[in-house]
Amino acid sequence: MLSFALVNTLAGFLIVTSQSVILAKTSKSAAKFYSLQSLLLVLIFLVLARLQGAHELYLWSATAFVTKVVLLPLVMLKFFGKLVDPNLEAESILPPAASVALSAAVVILCFVVVLGVSLPGSADIKPALAISLAHFFLGLVCIVTQRNILKQVFGYCLMENGSHLTLALLAPNAPELVEVGIATDAIFAVVVMGVLGTQIFRQLNTLDARALTTLKG
Amino acid sequence: MLPDLPHLALAGFQATALLAAAPLVSGFARVMRAKMHNRQGPGLLQDYRDIVKLMQRQEVWPPDSGWVFKAMPMLVMAVLLVIATGTPIFTLAPPIHVMGDLVLSIYLYALARFFLSLSGIDSGSSFAGIGASRELTVGVLVEPTMLLSLFVAALLAGSTDEGAIATAIANGHMQSAGAAVLAGLAFAFGVYVELGKLPYDMAEAEQELQEGPLTEYSGPSLALLKWALALKQTLVVGWFVGLFLPFGASADLSIDGVFNGALAFALKALVIFAIVGVLSNAVARVRFRFTPRHSWAGVGVASLAFVFYLVGV
Repeated sequence: MLSFALVNTLAGFLIVTSQSVILAKTSKSAAKFYSLQSLLLVLIFLVLARLQGAHELYLWSATAFVTKVVLLPLVMLKFFGKLVDPNLEAESILPPAASVALSAAVVILCFVVVLGVSLPGSADIKPALAISLAHFFLGLVCIVTQRNILKQVFGYCLMENGSHLTLALLAPNAPELVEVGIATDAIFAVVVMGVLGTQIFRQLNTLDARALTTLKG
Repeated sequence: MLPDLPHLALAGFQATALLAAAPLVSGFARVMRAKMHNRQGPGLLQDYRDIVKLMQRQEVWPPDSGWVFKAMPMLVMAVLLVIATGTPIFTLAPPIHVMGDLVLSIYLYALARFFLSLSGIDSGSSFAGIGASRELTVGVLVEPTMLLSLFVAALLAGSTDEGAIATAIANGHMQSAGAAVLAGLAFAFGVYVELGKLPYDMAEAEQELQEGPLTEYSGPSLALLKWALALKQTLVVGWFVGLFLPFGASADLSIDGVFNGALAFALKALVIFAIVGVLSNAVARVRFRFTPRHSWAGVGVASLAFVFYLVGV
């Protein structure tokens, strides 16, 4: 039942959930999709740990569950739930269809890049590595194309999830300390960005990234 | 290669059973709608009564109409019955093998739609003509999604034969499960649009622009068309269930197996039509010029499924 194909399939659904985060109408639903995505990531860690006998990955998945599935979405819901900008009607500069097509193109591109990379473990997880790379770029796409500054925070989180998966695939036996570093890093970043977002909203009464060109306050 | 007797019998049984059950499907949709509106509504068998009533009425043709207008109801019904003999619904293998091909199925539906639209123009009514052009526009918008998602399924199974795809999914012999699930989702969206339900379409609203081609029909022709549209709804759901949810379908031609397959299909169809009923009554109609946005998103999901197939996830 457990196989590298399962890792690849779960990784594929990371792309689907990240599209849901990007296309979500409200920050609240985006936070829920992010939580779902992190749950998928934890599942990937568990399967990888079982397949490769990497005991560090069990610890990783436990800390990732606590920080990314539970804590980060809670922080996001708490900070972002109150911040709603009614004047920001178009969230993205891309229509949904173009966004999905772009993600498909990014996945293909990353797969071509990854074909030349030799993995330390099994070569069967190359698709998953391609997906993790693509996921990083999707986070970048989210930051570039979204006008809502809160959505740009989600873009950062998507990038972070992508790099987390890359690390798990390339260095499954990396010490726990590295992983803790990454996870706490994300929490602090989101808290800082949440505080910044709240301040910006209080001062300028907008969440539109294009409106943030003047110094104020 | 001619089909043998058991396959012909299965094809006949499947087409007859679906034809007989079709008004039940549209009646169920009306019951659901009435319940969600908190009103009494018609009974489950109302559409049978409607068809019988219309069959006894006089046939009236518009003076400007030609042979296409007169032949269309029978043509559409015939095409749909042909599809009913080819789609693997009760069994994993299509009843008549040569009819169970993806490309053939897609274009048989397109043929039915073509005659439906042509008759709208042929009726001589400008209202019906505009309705016909809308019907075709929706068809053009949804076709890429259906084609692309079905091609992904065909690539995964290694054959455009619907039986091969159904067997591969039923046995879990898909190289990449992610691509299969995404293709199934995209195809489900295409099927939903084909059903002619809100928010995109209203198959029963022949007084409205959206279902314009039916405006000028009356009597037995209208009865036949209403029946055909209900059959089409049953068939497209059967198409989706047969390809992407073939669990419970019979692997052989034994009588027990086929009846169990039919029962399994009835259960799956009931669940799907209940979901469709809730969905279509809970949304407002999308303005016609915004429909492409939704359909292009469907194409995006289908192309993502194709990419998943290429990458192998």
